[in-house]
Amino acid sequence: MDTLFQAIPQKILDWEASGKDQVYDRKTIFNYMDGGAEVYLAFDFREVFVRKYKDPSGDEIVLDVYDMGSSDEAYGVFSCDRQDPKAGIGQESTFGPGLLRFWQGRYFVSITSAGEEKETEKAILELGMAVASLLGPPGELPPLLRLLPPDGLIKSKISYFHSSISLNNRYFVAGENILGLDRGKTDCVFAEYEEGREETAKLLIIRYPDDEQAQAALQSFLKSYLPDAEPAGTAREENNKWALGRRHQNFIAVVFEAASKERAESLFAAVRFPAK
Amino acid sequence: MKKSITRRDFIRETAAAVLGAAAVGLPKASPAQTSKSRVILIRHPDALDENSEFNETVIQQMLDEAVMKLVDQSDSAAAFRLLFKPEDIVGVKSNVWSYLPTPAAVEKAIKRRLLDAGVKEENISIDDHTVRTNPIFIKSTALLNVRPLRTHYLAGMSGCIKNYIMFGESQPDFHPDSCASLGSAFLLPQVKGKTRLNILCALTPQYHGRGPHHFSRRYVWNYKGLLVSRDPVAVDTIALKLIMVKRRQELGPGQELPPVPKHIQIADAKYDLGTSDVNKIELIKLGWLDDVLI
Repeated sequence: MDTLFQAIPQKILDWEASGKDQVYDRKTIFNYMDGGAEVYLAFDFREVFVRKYKDPSGDEIVLDVYDMGSSDEAYGVFSCDRQDPKAGIGQESTFGPGLLRFWQGRYFVSITSAGEEKETEKAILELGMAVASLLGPPGELPPLLRLLPPDGLIKSKISYFHSSISLNNRYFVAGENILGLDRGKTDCVFAEYEEGREETAKLLIIRYPDDEQAQAALQSFLKSYLPDAEPAGTAREENNKWALGRRHQNFIAVVFEAASKERAESLFAAVRFPAK
Repeated sequence: MKKSITRRDFIRETAAAVLGAAAVGLPKASPAQTSKSRVILIRHPDALDENSEFNETVIQQMLDEAVMKLVDQSDSAAAFRLLFKPEDIVGVKSNVWSYLPTPAAVEKAIKRRLLDAGVKEENISIDDHTVRTNPIFIKSTALLNVRPLRTHYLAGMSGCIKNYIMFGESQPDFHPDSCASLGSAFLLPQVKGKTRLNILCALTPQYHGRGPHHFSRRYVWNYKGLLVSRDPVAVDTIALKLIMVKRRQELGPGQELPPVPKHIQIADAKYDLGTSDVNKIELIKLGWLDDVLI
């Protein structure tokens, strides 16, 4: 990473690098973030390079370049928090007031600013483009995404992750880890599907190491979340939407907020599980 | 068996009811309280000026009125004297998080009234990260807990309960299970039984977080309020209601919940620090009521 860091521009428009560059790893990231470290530790985060830039008035821009170890992980951390419009930087990006996020290859990048002036936004975007050009070739998307049914899929609302922390930040399911999610053991993809009238059905697919662990997790989920489920694993939620939890080999698929029981069933049936 | 709070619970009930219901199965550490915990919400339209600068004079008035009402006194110095004695050694546990620290105007207002109550200046210290080694905090006889209100991606909400995390030997040790054990910090020897007053600054609360530090100025609003109570759990329970209403208003019903702040309910049911049951909280609203939300 040293060569990469050295190549990052020291000056962007009126903003110049300020203070000493910092690098934090899995042990020291707590020195950089108040609680936020777990977002990255929930993935295969390796280290983050931090550089601050200041303009003559003292306004600050902070560049974070995260080495996530692989493109799967870089995509994952990016995908769990995308609420702003695309910015056309890196492989995928979002940009809203004071925050640019993108991923490229094994790297995830965020550029933040407390200020929201036009010149600051311009500097953030220019810095983002400069950094993206240094991050090497694009990476592959996680193979688990291929299981998602394509019809009605909202691509900008796909999230890939491993742990319950990430799931609950994306879509709160339960206070306890009732699905047995754990980095190093489970891979998850969460997606939203158009249901009309700005409503979406949610589909969560989890891959466990083996059939037994998947079955145990399904039982735990049904007991805690769908105790009223029919034998087929379907139940009507309190908002009159339908939920479903079902296993296929070492996978679990859970549908939340489907408009009807049939919709929940059809979404599950459309999951492209691999043949064993 | 402990019941896990689920999304379905939140769809079914209000947050407060859920937090109360979720306590079923968690035995209380001591007999249930019989009197209500009083929480004062005070707001003033001029707490911040047109440039969003804090107005020290107004904030002093707000603090005074809130504490007087909290302890039913008509004089601010007398109200503080009910809470802090002249011989007390007082640690003011503040918060220096760079994006949203405790406003200096609030810290000054607190210190002024501690001095008015007769506490010696050399026996007052305002600190955050070094409270474990701060000599005043080490020998303190009383603590005052003050910080801004914001969401936190792990704990759900950063309020008065979470503010004592710095008294712990290791902050990451509190992080597992959505920071469930934060209330245990109140039982540490340096802290136990010393907290006389909790002030949650809702002057510019943050209702949602983005980015590596969970902060974006767009999710901060000028609510211009202070929440004041002797009960840290009650003040956090009311603050959670405020955050949830604001999230529903701005982000939609699907995002009403921050990550579930289970530590609030656990601080009640397991550590017996106060009440998370809104039926046992007496919320008194003073001052400006426009867009009060709760």
